[in-house]
Amino acid sequence: MIIADILSNIGQLFLYDKSAPLIFSSGVFWLLFILFMPVYAAVKNRRWQMLLFVVAFSLYFYYKSSGIFFLLLIGTSLLDWSLSKVMVKLESKNARKLCVTISIIASLSILCYFKYANFFLSNLSVIVSHNFQPLDIILPVGISFYTFQSISYIVDVYKGRVAPTNTWLEYLFFLSFFPALVAGPIVRADYFLPQIKENHIPKRKEIYTGLWLIILGVIKKAIIADYIAQYNDLIFNSPGTYSGFETLMGVVGYTMQIYCDFSGYSDMAIGIALIMGFKLCANFDFPYKSKNLTEFWRRWHISLSSWLRDYVYIPLGGNRKGTLRTYINNFLTMLIGGLWHGANWKFVFWGAMHGAGLAVHKACRPFLDKLPSTFPVKAISWTITMTFVSMLWVFFRADSWTSSWQIISKIFTDFSISYFIPFVQVHTAWCIMMSVIIIAHALPRRFYDKMEKLFVNLRWWVKFLIFMIVVQLVIQFMSADVAPFIYFDF
Amino acid sequence: MKKGYLGLWLILVLSLGIFFFISSLDSVNVFGVELKPSKMYSSLVCKSDSDSIIPPPQPKLFPQPVDTASQSILFIGDSMLEGLYPRLAAYADENGHELRVAMWYSSTSQIWGECDTLTHFINKVNPSYIFICLGANELFVKDIAEKRDKYVKNILKQIGDIPYLWIGPPNWKPDTGINKLIAKNTKKGCFFLSDGMTFDRAKDGAHPTRQSAIVWMDSIVRWMPDSCLHPIRMNLPKVKSSRAKRVYALQPKK
Repeated sequence: MIIADILSNIGQLFLYDKSAPLIFSSGVFWLLFILFMPVYAAVKNRRWQMLLFVVAFSLYFYYKSSGIFFLLLIGTSLLDWSLSKVMVKLESKNARKLCVTISIIASLSILCYFKYANFFLSNLSVIVSHNFQPLDIILPVGISFYTFQSISYIVDVYKGRVAPTNTWLEYLFFLSFFPALVAGPIVRADYFLPQIKENHIPKRKEIYTGLWLIILGVIKKAIIADYIAQYNDLIFNSPGTYSGFETLMGVVGYTMQIYCDFSGYSDMAIGIALIMGFKLCANFDFPYKSKNLTEFWRRWHISLSSWLRDYVYIPLGGNRKGTLRTYINNFLTMLIGGLWHGANWKFVFWGAMHGAGLAVHKACRPFLDKLPSTFPVKAISWTITMTFVSMLWVFFRADSWTSSWQIISKIFTDFSISYFIPFVQVHTAWCIMMSVIIIAHALPRRFYDKMEKLFVNLRWWVKFLIFMIVVQLVIQFMSADVAPFIYFDF
Repeated sequence: MKKGYLGLWLILVLSLGIFFFISSLDSVNVFGVELKPSKMYSSLVCKSDSDSIIPPPQPKLFPQPVDTASQSILFIGDSMLEGLYPRLAAYADENGHELRVAMWYSSTSQIWGECDTLTHFINKVNPSYIFICLGANELFVKDIAEKRDKYVKNILKQIGDIPYLWIGPPNWKPDTGINKLIAKNTKKGCFFLSDGMTFDRAKDGAHPTRQSAIVWMDSIVRWMPDSCLHPIRMNLPKVKSSRAKRVYALQPKK
């Protein structure tokens, strides 16, 4: 009977469970990766077998996260690849344009249906004063990420920046590569396809650098972000019930939480890819060190901001059509970036405000460039940038406009520093976690490079011990339900 | 397998094995620190929910006969009592009961469950019926089933055999499990689930307005005859609200 229970539980573990999405820091992924590794190592030298095996695993990974929607991924890839193959054979520019248009429309239509149909209907119902029934739609995990990848591929083939892959399998490998499938970094064809051809065998150093990145990501995501989220959730779930000081701490907390959550997950993705012998581009570069908004967007979610630059901002005209058009293009790009994050006006507002902020920064640049690069100037620039970014995170996180304004007005109307000591006394662990991540974020990159080298050169048993300690810390701090990754919904 | 891969694979396999083994033990102490076990073992070995057996037929519990005697009611809980107790006091006046209130601001099941304040009030008031309204300050506590179970149990232990009714918190957002936890620990018919009701809220967005709290209390009273394990006489009062015989207001715990 017990054996039957165990077998039944193991069976359940490998099936799609809507309530338990597969994330890298989960025990199920750990088990799956243990099963994956020996087979991968065995077939790594045989390119086609390796491609087939990784594609099968990636599709299974997507099935575990999104159920039957893995078929959608297969369908999208087949359409894109077929059109790209047809396109390169065509000589007429218009016919080529038609191919790329069909592919983009198909990709965007699927994305719009799953992500924006109900948003559109709810807004339409307000406009025409009619009550539309929302559609019963489940958003496939990571659809925004792979849709952007598929668009960049077809556009790059159209522009002649990359040649289409010889086989569908190679393209499916690129689109479904599981480390980057559900939450990025958004992989670009010109960067990734040559790596598929090369089939680089990772060295010991790369394998353990990958493990180092996974450990770093787990600490950020599963220990720090998930822990500090508990206090931040209290503030955002009950805006108005806490003092201004406590509310401010919640906002600062969320600012660090979203960074740890997303950059931690990116670190894990990059680490897993590295172990497999593939390089993914960096997604974060200490964004909260930025001294202006332009710099912030060069450091935050780099794969998305560079995608938006190359496939939205530049096609809109970039900075080639005069100052005013530059500002407008910047604004529109950020507006689309905001909408990409979710079908909600709060994301549109968040994007629009960032767009406006970037435009203001660009307009002030002639004046700002004349300022001396002294510590007070840097400190003021950093404070203004961080205040702006943090306040906009409030709109990003809060459930409604009312909640957002309640939180912001609480900070500015009910603030008293006298709460500081009692706050630290009550939320000691939260304050320690916050201090750790703030200090860690302030450290220079070379510190991390040194730590990485040190880790790679450690003896095997020391690495084993570090891994054990980190996993135990995750268990010690773990919430009843693993907090889903914030960017999972995008 | 390639040497680099083998090393990494061994790290993953050995650590998984060790954590699985630890998760099968009751408790592990390392240098005086108790290691929290993972749920690996229990999630593999425990019976899965899908294998549920059909429960044996239960004797019909409800409705229970209404106890028409006058009651000495003790109403304990958090700041939600501010809205509820004036209406309960009106019911008490109308039906010949006596109401005493112990309102502990910002309190939680943990606060009441880790001290003997409830026992103190029970000894002082000698109630024949207890109303509890707790849980609003712990709607979003993660891991609540593990963290607060012992405190809910201790509150009920202090109540002992005295008939009681636990009024669930008026959720303004989905909770992380407090309602489930209370429902699990209380006897059938001793928990009123307020989640799902619609309230007009005060400025803080959490507390129901006075008028909404009256409707809330009325809903509880309407629910009692058919679904409560210990229904008491609760005829509709002529006045909207009244005063309790005594209100003990306890300040938030520092």
